[in-house]
Amino acid sequence: MTQPIHLTTPLSGESVRQLKVNDIVTLTGIIYTARDMAHLKLRELQESGKPLPEALEGSVIFHAGPVVKKADGGFDLLNIGPTTSIRMEPHSDFLGRLGVKAIVGKGGLGEGSVQAFKNYGMVYLLAAPGCGVLHAQAVKQVKRVHWLEEMGMPEAIWVLEVKDWGPLTVGMDSQGNSIFQAIKEEGLRKLDGLVKDWK
Amino acid sequence: MTVLDRPFAEAFYESLIRGVTGISPDILQLLKDARDDETPTGKSMLDALIQNVELARKMKRGVCQSPGIPCIYIRSNPELSGINIRKIAGDSIIRATKEGYLRPSIVHPLTRKNSGDNSGPGIPNFEMEVDPSLDYLEIIVSFKGCGPELFNAFKTFTPESLGKNLEGLKRFLLETVINAGGKPCPPIGLGVGIGGQMDGAAKLSRMAISTRRWDDRNPDPELDRMERELKDRINQLGIGPGGAGGKTTALAVKIGLAYTHTAICPVAVNFHCWVGRRFGFRFYADGTREEIL
Repeated sequence: MTQPIHLTTPLSGESVRQLKVNDIVTLTGIIYTARDMAHLKLRELQESGKPLPEALEGSVIFHAGPVVKKADGGFDLLNIGPTTSIRMEPHSDFLGRLGVKAIVGKGGLGEGSVQAFKNYGMVYLLAAPGCGVLHAQAVKQVKRVHWLEEMGMPEAIWVLEVKDWGPLTVGMDSQGNSIFQAIKEEGLRKLDGLVKDWK
Repeated sequence: MTVLDRPFAEAFYESLIRGVTGISPDILQLLKDARDDETPTGKSMLDALIQNVELARKMKRGVCQSPGIPCIYIRSNPELSGINIRKIAGDSIIRATKEGYLRPSIVHPLTRKNSGDNSGPGIPNFEMEVDPSLDYLEIIVSFKGCGPELFNAFKTFTPESLGKNLEGLKRFLLETVINAGGKPCPPIGLGVGIGGQMDGAAKLSRMAISTRRWDDRNPDPELDRMERELKDRINQLGIGPGGAGGKTTALAVKIGLAYTHTAICPVAVNFHCWVGRRFGFRFYADGTREEIL
C-alpha cells in the first residue's frame, strides 16, 4: 500500500487538488456528520437566506450517524461508520458552493458529483464500511451537536474532533476520476460474456 | 403470559447482545478465507473489516452503527407459540438501544420522526410459521443494515422474457449487482427469491440470505449450481471489498424458490452487507435452548 498522506482541517484547496484516486489519506481536526435530513435542512436554510449552524469553508462532511451515550456534561461516542453516500448525490454542488472540500462515506457518488468535484476542487474519501468500532477509535471528542431533538441521533449534525483518522481511500478526485465509475464500466463491459458462458 | 416467557426472554436478550456485538462465525470465516487470494487493496479492506469485528467483540460494542430493521423468523410447535415473543423481542430491542448496542434508527416513514428507541408499528418485522411436527420453537433474528436495501430489485418475468437458457434472468441478476457496485457494503450476501407473487418472491429473497448459513449448500442441485455460478460471476466484476476494487464482491448467493402461476415468474433480489449480525436458537418446552446460528 502507498504511504498515507496526512491532512489537517480546515483543508486547503491546494492540498485537496493534489490528491489522486487510490491515494490513501488520514484526517486530523474537525469533521461534521450529515445525512439526508441535515442536507435538506441546510439547503432550506440557505435558500431562505437564514444563517447555517456552522461555517463549512475547507470542511469535511462525513456521511454517518453515530451511536452516542449521554455522559457528564457531554456525549460518549460508541460507534460511527459511513452510510450509503449515493443518497446525498443531489447535494454535491450545494456543498461545493459552501466551500466543503472533502466528503467521507461509502459506496461513492455519481456523475453529478464528478462534475462538482472538478468545479470546486473536492474529493470523495472511502471509509471502510460496517466498521463502526474501528472508526470510533479516531474520534477524540464530541464537540457539539445540532438539531438532535428535531432529527434524532442518526440525522443530527455531530461536530467531532478526529485524530489520524484513516486509512481513507481517495475514491473520487478533483480531476474527474472516480474508481466507482471505472469499476462499473468494467462490469458492464464484461456483462455479455458472463451471461453467455453461464451454462 | 406463559411460565416460559421469562426463560425465553432471558435467552433472547443474551443472544441478542451476542448477535449484535459480532458477526456469524460462518461469515467471519468466509472473510478470512477471502484474504488469501485478494489484491493488496482488497486485502487491506478485508483486514479493516476483520479488525473491526475483533474490536467490537473485545469492547462489547455493536459491530456496525446501523442495526437496520430487526427481522425475526419463527417456526414453532403450536404449544410453544403462546410465548409473547412480540413483546419480549420489542422490549429487548428497546433495552439494547438504551444500553448503546443499537442506534435508534427507526422513524415514521413520512414524517421521518425518530421513535427514539427502535420501536414503532411493524417493528421488529415478524415472520411466523406454526408447524405441529416440531417439538421446539425455532427463532432466527437478523439485524441487516438498510443501506443495501436501496439496491434491491424486483422484476416480474414472463416465459418469453426469462429468455433462452434463462439469459434474461441471468442478465437481470448481474446487471442489478453491477449497478449496486460498492454501495451495499461488499463483500455482500445476495438473496434471490424466485416464484410466488411480488411479496412472495421478496420474502423468499430476504429469508434466503438472512436465515441460511452463508457456507451451506442448497439441497436442490439445480439451485445449488445456480448459486455457485452466480457467485462466481459476481466475483469477476472487480467491485471488491468496500467497493474499492478486488476479487471478493460476494461471499454468498442464496436462492429461495416457490412455485408460481403459469403466466409469470416474479424475481426479487435482496442485498445483505458483509456485517451478518444474527442469532438463532431452538427453545424447548422445558425451558432449555440450543444455539443454531
